Amino acid sequence: MNKILKLTVILFLICAIVAGVLGLINEVTWRRIDQIQTEKTARAYAAVLESEDYEDLGVEPSTINKVSINSIARASNGAGYVVEVTFSGAQGSVTMVVGVDNDYRCTGVSITEHSETSGLGANAASPAEVGVNFRSQFVGADDSVALKKAGGEIDALAGATITSRGVTNGVAAAIQAVKALG
Amino acid sequence: MNIKKQFKEGLITNNPVTVQLIGMCATMAITTTLFNGVGMGLSVLIILTCCNVAVSAIRKIIPNDIRLAIFVVIIAGFVTIVDLLLQAFIPALSESLGVFIPLIVVNCIIIGRAEAFSQKNTVGASFFDGVFQGLGYTCVLIVMCVFREQIGSGRFGGGLIDVSNGFRFTLDGTGAGIQLFNADYGASIMNLPFGGFITLGLLIAVMQHFLKKSAKKKEAEAAAAAEAEKEAD
Repeated sequence: MNKILKLTVILFLICAIVAGVLGLINEVTWRRIDQIQTEKTARAYAAVLESEDYEDLGVEPSTINKVSINSIARASNGAGYVVEVTFSGAQGSVTMVVGVDNDYRCTGVSITEHSETSGLGANAASPAEVGVNFRSQFVGADDSVALKKAGGEIDALAGATITSRGVTNGVAAAIQAVKALG
Repeated sequence: MNIKKQFKEGLITNNPVTVQLIGMCATMAITTTLFNGVGMGLSVLIILTCCNVAVSAIRKIIPNDIRLAIFVVIIAGFVTIVDLLLQAFIPALSESLGVFIPLIVVNCIIIGRAEAFSQKNTVGASFFDGVFQGLGYTCVLIVMCVFREQIGSGRFGGGLIDVSNGFRFTLDGTGAGIQLFNADYGASIMNLPFGGFITLGLLIAVMQHFLKKSAKKKEAEAAAAAEAEKEAD
């Protein structure tokens, strides 16, 4: 009994210390991380659909074909909409913004958050050539966009079919969500 | 403290990947470009060193029955701290290394060294063990990256080196690398996990061959020395 008590106390103390240190570090860093994340999202918006400002339409989060639609923003210059979607990739959830113009065609995609395997699925978000080439395939796509394997036009990333399919479904869902706005 | 011996063990005779055969999952997954190899290697080196020091510092108060639970808490704690600090203060590095950091929590090199070394040794020895085992891991990653990238895409230093505008190092992972031959002629299977298995297998075989050879040589020397002693008698 005494032994169990001793083990519990030691484990508890070590967990408490680690949790305390983590809390402290979080306190020091969360504002900066938040700010960096906001800037990153702003850059992603500008990359997929150029506009001076974006007006969040405040739509209720919904799910289309297993893709969650987080938010839809209208470009203030009337060029179209920017949709933020989250879907599951090969390793975890992937968050992506998709630009959609008034003819319901994709103007670009940008992945803002993911945890895909480096060198395979992570290439989808990579700033290197392989990622740029992959993402540029979606420019001009409509909501019937599909991988070559499924009879569409999109070349999947080598070794990363699940991620590629996720991005493709995400783009299709984003366009459908804008269409549903009417 | 025997730093020289630890150095040799970490890099060659007790290399984490090719001799202890631990931490192989991440090794196969990420060794596709030189940038990934260096990034992952350095991340492991830093976190391994921190964890080794922390574990050996409290080794006398860790009860044997719950040591693994404590190691896991310490490792996850350090990984999270490094991750948060990188995100807040070096966002560019965090963006390029961010994908490796969560992988480190489950990298068995760290818990393996805590279990096999730092819970029994002094803080100083554990620090050097972390550095040298980390270096050994980094070296294996670099060898594998160079081999796979070369055969798979005909390229050297992808992500890390940019030659389009004079030679320079790119630390954000955007460099195109040095193209040695047209990527279309590359055996792209080397970029897939399959290529990782093959490369790792070959590397372990080569390493074991030389280790065996040197062990035999040592044995022969010892035998010859014993023989000479006998004769002298």
